[in-house]
Amino acid sequence: MYTLVSGFYKYMLQKDEFCVLILGLDNAGKTTYLESAKTKFTKNYKGMNPSKITTTVGLNIGQIDINTVRLNFWDLGGQLELQSLWDKYYAECHALIYVVDSNDRDRIAESKETFDKMISNENLIGVPLLVLANKQDIRDCMGVREVKPIFNKNSAHLIGRRDCMVMPVSALTGEGIDEGIRWLVECIKRNCDVRPPRNLEDT
Amino acid sequence: MGGVYSYFKSLFGNREMRILILGLDGAGKTTILYRLQVGEVVTTIPTIGFNVEQVTYKNLTFQVWDLGGQTSIRPYWRCYYSNTDAIIYVVDSSDRDRIGISKEELLAMLKEEELRDAILVILANKQDMENCMSVAEVHRALGLENLKDRTFQIFKTSAKEGEGLNDSMDWLSNALQSKL
Repeated sequence: MYTLVSGFYKYMLQKDEFCVLILGLDNAGKTTYLESAKTKFTKNYKGMNPSKITTTVGLNIGQIDINTVRLNFWDLGGQLELQSLWDKYYAECHALIYVVDSNDRDRIAESKETFDKMISNENLIGVPLLVLANKQDIRDCMGVREVKPIFNKNSAHLIGRRDCMVMPVSALTGEGIDEGIRWLVECIKRNCDVRPPRNLEDT
Repeated sequence: MGGVYSYFKSLFGNREMRILILGLDGAGKTTILYRLQVGEVVTTIPTIGFNVEQVTYKNLTFQVWDLGGQTSIRPYWRCYYSNTDAIIYVVDSSDRDRIGISKEELLAMLKEEELRDAILVILANKQDMENCMSVAEVHRALGLENLKDRTFQIFKTSAKEGEGLNDSMDWLSNALQSKL
């Protein structure tokens, strides 16, 4: 009887674990975004001072709990040389966040090119995708209206039938972080049959 | 009451950070330790046993342990794992023949329960050598893509020239501070 009750209790407390990959060119603000998301959704978490965040060469992880869902973030380095390492994470991720520097008009074409290459990988078919037009705190940056058509162009067949959204955010001020993550959680839940939570895969 | 709590918390918070420098023999661990401590290149001999020094970097004090890396003494690394805050894993980027062994040692080490919360810094050392491995090559050769539950960062360094060490210590001290 005890086993039954405790088993049920554990089952009730168990959270579904999902993995979210954060990608984008170097200096797009991926790590700052992750820190900002951690701060938003974790009580008593101070977050790293944004001025101290340096170029990532490796991996930053983060974990946040939203109701019954636990999100594990993987924030990878975005430099050209490191982009070849991204595909090692595709098969295991449940959602994708692509961060764009809306203030860098010179590299927006490069960002789009990298995006196309990434999204055409077959291991990412159907995975929910959130594109973030970051750095909206900077005046004169490109708004969503400008960024969205750039990323939609010639990519409709690659994006396919997956959930996809372009959102404005400022990782620095934290604006737009909530909405994006809540939207992503809903998409991950909908896509659950195709990509079941990590904890279920293990058992 | 809250005051008492925060007093004790700050007492514990200010404890000296314990860092291990590990890696195969000849990777440059001892040279890195003394580069950090005295800022100079010292002549080293293969370490049998360990060197331990107190290193101060930007108001932070670390207790840094450099353990010998030869095959016969690697099994003793585990004796030093408890209470470790960070691991600096040094790789000789010009030694393609032994990077596989380095990978196995790293993976075996990271499986240890005592190191579950330790921060990992990988130094792709000897970048001054010609034809050495790039960061992405080191990443791949060490199989770091399998390391999905731990924050880590790779730095290109040359202990001989003193390059990259400050960047890595900057990153490490920030990571350690935000962990508190």
